[in-house]
Amino acid sequence: MTAMTGAPPVEEPARIIDYLTTTDHKKIGVMYLVTAVGFLVVGGILALIMRAELAFPELQLLDESTYNQLFTMHGTGMIFFAIVPLGIGFANYLLPLQVGAPDVAFPRLNALSYWLYLAGGLVAFSGFLTASGAAAFGWYGYPPLSNETYSPGAGPNLWIMGLILSGASGILGSVNFIATVFTMRAPGMTMFRVPIFTWNILVVSLLILLTFPVLTAALALLFIDRTVSNAFFTPEAGSNSILWQHLFWFFGHPEVYIMALPFFGVVSEVVPVFSGKRIFGYRALVFATVLIGAYSFSVWAHHMFTTGAVSNLFFAATSFLIAIPTGVKFFTWIATMWRGRIRLATPMLFVIGFLFQFLVGGISGVFLASPPIDYQAHDSYYVVAHMHYVLFGGSAFAAFAAFYFWIPKISGRMLSEGLGKAHFWLVLIGFNLTFFPMHQLGLDGMARRVADYPANPGWGETNLVISLASGLIAVGTALFVWNVVRSVWMGCGAPAGHDPWGGHSLEWATSSPPPHHNFVAMPPIRSERPAWDARQAAAAEPRDG
Amino acid sequence: MPRPPARLRLAVIAGLAAVALGGCAPQPVSVEGEAVKTLYDIFLAVAAAVFVVVAGLIGWSIVRYGDRGDDRQISSTHENLRLELLWWALPTVLVIVLFILTAQVLGRVDERTDDPGLTVTVTGFQWQWRFAYEGSDVVLTGLPGEPPTLVLPVGERVALDLESPDVIHSFWVPQFLIKRDVVPGRTNRIELTVEEPGTYSGLCGEFCGLLHHRMRFSIEAVPADAFHAWLEGGGEGIP
Repeated sequence: MTAMTGAPPVEEPARIIDYLTTTDHKKIGVMYLVTAVGFLVVGGILALIMRAELAFPELQLLDESTYNQLFTMHGTGMIFFAIVPLGIGFANYLLPLQVGAPDVAFPRLNALSYWLYLAGGLVAFSGFLTASGAAAFGWYGYPPLSNETYSPGAGPNLWIMGLILSGASGILGSVNFIATVFTMRAPGMTMFRVPIFTWNILVVSLLILLTFPVLTAALALLFIDRTVSNAFFTPEAGSNSILWQHLFWFFGHPEVYIMALPFFGVVSEVVPVFSGKRIFGYRALVFATVLIGAYSFSVWAHHMFTTGAVSNLFFAATSFLIAIPTGVKFFTWIATMWRGRIRLATPMLFVIGFLFQFLVGGISGVFLASPPIDYQAHDSYYVVAHMHYVLFGGSAFAAFAAFYFWIPKISGRMLSEGLGKAHFWLVLIGFNLTFFPMHQLGLDGMARRVADYPANPGWGETNLVISLASGLIAVGTALFVWNVVRSVWMGCGAPAGHDPWGGHSLEWATSSPPPHHNFVAMPPIRSERPAWDARQAAAAEPRDG
Repeated sequence: MPRPPARLRLAVIAGLAAVALGGCAPQPVSVEGEAVKTLYDIFLAVAAAVFVVVAGLIGWSIVRYGDRGDDRQISSTHENLRLELLWWALPTVLVIVLFILTAQVLGRVDERTDDPGLTVTVTGFQWQWRFAYEGSDVVLTGLPGEPPTLVLPVGERVALDLESPDVIHSFWVPQFLIKRDVVPGRTNRIELTVEEPGTYSGLCGEFCGLLHHRMRFSIEAVPADAFHAWLEGGGEGIP
């Protein structure tokens, strides 16, 4: 083991052409992550422009047409091209390492998944280059608004094509992950020794495999409606515009867990390492993860409580149920920290931010699961607050934790802790000042997706605070990008060694970055934390790293 | 442990403050709105308790079990069946209670009578509203820059039939705590009884295209006699 410590192994630095032609899961993982951060930055810039417009009542900077394109592409970009691919990117890099495999089961298919994803993102965003602009009907594109009559032009068609491409990417990727977990685990790696992150990716892959085809089908129908003639989603054609909502949310709610579970997995990896403890209740955590995945198929119509077209009581019941396994995860994380020795390094700070913020987002979710309360909160800024507490305060914070935790593994270089902490505090304060006041705005009657709002008492001030605070998020995120450029690209980061944090899972038992086929030697696998076991076995020797 | 209690208190206070700021539903002016507001307040109380307990436990672990460079023993417990059963059971009981409360209020809010005193057909279209009073010729239609006013009687049960000729809109009156989609191809009905006379604002809740944010209207709730006199007088002006 000692041979793997110290500076990164001397390897030919990868050239651009190596990335363009690679089938290596690690390079593909890095490309996913870089691309996803790119879309995250683009989506963030769109949001900042919206916040500039909303800082004061009345229209100042934008017209409605531009504003509507901005929020549509902000949502589309963040959901389909930033948050989901961040999870997929970490999965690509880490899943084969965590199960002790040399690569994913189908490396070429994996490369195709990435290129489909990139193409999908570029196609969807290319709507901005067309004469009538990008899609402007919101990220869930309800017909009849999204049909040719009300949203003419090429932008919406490009939006559909982009989503279909990214859907194909997700389907192929999930096949790859499922096959890898089921067929390529190292000897000794039983299913109940698979790390929690990989378990989460397995469940996410099943969700993708079962729901993305539904979205793809719905998009295809919408495309036919738009380009041939209205048949599927238009009342005049004898059909039903609610049908789209069923198809979309049958995908769309599992999608929420597709965006959340990978990051629950990250939290479940980071908490034990920085508490110096084994994860508490491993099997219960796996069970809760599978249960959340299964439940997520039964709750879709809680997005449709106000349509008057679904059984609200039934979907309220299923939506409340999903709070139970989610609550269990919280207790498991707390029990893991309990009586441990908690190190507040940057990855753990972001996880702590996740815990508090996801708690808020989870609780506001229970409010929304109650139809009478949803009648008030639906489609208001309350939902904007809730969704950002889950996806930004939750998933994105955990993604930042994952970057600080695993970039030393990926690059062999540590990120700066000072910049990392500055990043954390700026984004923590900026995030909460931006999104917490939105709960009240929503309850008071501010609808989402408005280019302008009435100058009701207090609304102008609240919106100004929100807009200013969103600038803190931008500064914090810029520090993060600079931290990565400086530490990794410019090579200023301290050498990481193979295990800088005292990691538990197999990726910490190989060099940083790992060699081409991941492992030169592998420790015996007798639990879900083989790297920890190997350290205990070598306890007579001084600690590595 | 000299430090933790003070910090814990701080965490609890911060938690309570956070929940208190987390939003109050508007003061309702309708019978149904009051039921929703009561439900909301119960949810808020439960949410505050859950937040304080869970956030308190997280905060306590971080502070109490922070690494201070000492050789304190790290617990090796990683399973405890009783504890785990407890934390499966607690949220289960909680959501069952919340569900029962929800079901009761939902029944009241969504209750439909066979013969409401007054029926108004509300048409939402890009990007205006039209209010047509059943059994009378009164039709009020908004114009650009002149949002219409829906006049309603206080203390009488009113049915609103929601219809759209184009895309999906949503009829929302924040002070009634009710929102219902206006869907082409179907008629959604809501029923309510306004309790307080006054002027309230309403708006489109579902994004409906270019000028969505301008799709607003007013509600004028007036005493029942004044309302009926106004309606029989052809709906001129605002009573």
